[in-house]
Amino acid sequence: MQRKGDAYTFVFASVICVFCAVVLALAATALKPIQEKNVKLDVTVNILGAVGHDPMELKKTPDKAFELFEKEFEIKILDKDNAEQDRKFMETELAKLGYVPDELQDLDLGTLVRRFDSKVGLLAARAGQKRAEYDPGYKLVYVHRGETGGVDAYVVPIEGYGLWDIIKGYLALETDLNTIKGVTFYEHKETPGLGARVTEAWFQESFKGKKILDENNNLVSITVAKGPTASGPHQVDGISGATLTGDGMNVFMKRDLETYEPYFQTLRSSSRSATR
Amino acid sequence: MTTATETAAKPKGTLFGKKERAIVKDPVWDNNPITLQVLGICSALAITTSLQPALVMCISLTFVLCGSNVIISILRNFIPNKIRIIVMLSVISTLVILVDQVLKAYSYDMSKELSVFVGLIITNCIVMGRAEAFAMANKPWPSFLDGLGNSLGYSVILIVVAFGRELFGNGTLFGFQVVPQVAYEAGYTNMGLMLLPPGAFLILGVIIWLQRTMSGHFED
Repeated sequence: MQRKGDAYTFVFASVICVFCAVVLALAATALKPIQEKNVKLDVTVNILGAVGHDPMELKKTPDKAFELFEKEFEIKILDKDNAEQDRKFMETELAKLGYVPDELQDLDLGTLVRRFDSKVGLLAARAGQKRAEYDPGYKLVYVHRGETGGVDAYVVPIEGYGLWDIIKGYLALETDLNTIKGVTFYEHKETPGLGARVTEAWFQESFKGKKILDENNNLVSITVAKGPTASGPHQVDGISGATLTGDGMNVFMKRDLETYEPYFQTLRSSSRSATR
Repeated sequence: MTTATETAAKPKGTLFGKKERAIVKDPVWDNNPITLQVLGICSALAITTSLQPALVMCISLTFVLCGSNVIISILRNFIPNKIRIIVMLSVISTLVILVDQVLKAYSYDMSKELSVFVGLIITNCIVMGRAEAFAMANKPWPSFLDGLGNSLGYSVILIVVAFGRELFGNGTLFGFQVVPQVAYEAGYTNMGLMLLPPGAFLILGVIIWLQRTMSGHFED
């Protein structure tokens, strides 16, 4: 074949394409289990971090972290009406969306809900609808049990836009479902040195002990504030130079807590009647 | 087999002859890709807020640059001239995605921090530039050395910039506290500006100034 001919060019381009594609497909397939484990570990240590474990220490021993999570946490799925659903239900829902049931067996509950979330987003986009209209609104609650075996804290995922992109985190509430036990933020694309400091310990520590309800038990959430107001029971001191990151957090923390509030209310009233 | 006969025919083609050493050394100092050719600035500014991501970035770029130079050089006599740029781009992208996947698997926290910047190695002018300017016209071994030299030139600058930014901006090196607590108590504060893009520009500017003064380089 002539090297300057069009036929040669086409053949050469095809060979390169196929070769590159095969190399990448092999690498992606081979590394996928390790990558998925990393994502799972990241989520796991951050949920554990929200209730007071040291995430950095746990990251060094992944198996221990998973074990600890299994031991201390119970995952609950809530549907739109805040009724608790089980794993079976989630699997049926995913099967309806076209997943092969056998492949879902090995996945943990968190991964199942995350898969469901991304699939719903995709379907909504395809149907030309807004996500909110399409979203069946399943939520996750991680129930933490202390050493005595009694419920110790409730951990819920919080996420939304900071300044540049989505910030993800977990918020742990004490059993009164009012006092904050701990907060972690782990995934973000904020400005290094400014907004990126949401991952620093001093900032996350400052959420501890703050209240999400006012005196009349109405949800007020937590705001990232500046100056003298920052010492109130519903405010934390903001990061200087990262006002817009804080503003974004105020919005999504309130919104996410609002979606959980009806469920929290039923929990609060049931615990009140139990003590009575 | 052909390399053997070529080496025999041309005694100059040794592994580490004078010419080979020059290929590695030249881009580190006399013809540094960042300070003299002013290429690859984007990543030099973006990921140099601390040493660790800068180091990972340097290793990634070294792998991609050496790899792409060798592959392009091996293919150089077969690549149709009409589509050479797109072929280079395919090779480079493949290597970059490989690096990204490996980082995601073995250094997840780092890959989260570097995120898009590893992907942006694809458009790093140094990689394309060396493929087009050197690897297309030279044998695999010199091309490898050229890749190594240019990566070193890039890495040296990145590490120096990251060193300055982390030290002055955060008081740490590789995440370890270097500036003693006593200094903070005495009123020393970290320079937040260093962590922002202007900080990188300032340090880079000083490096370019120093280097050009020392090497006596002048723009025409």
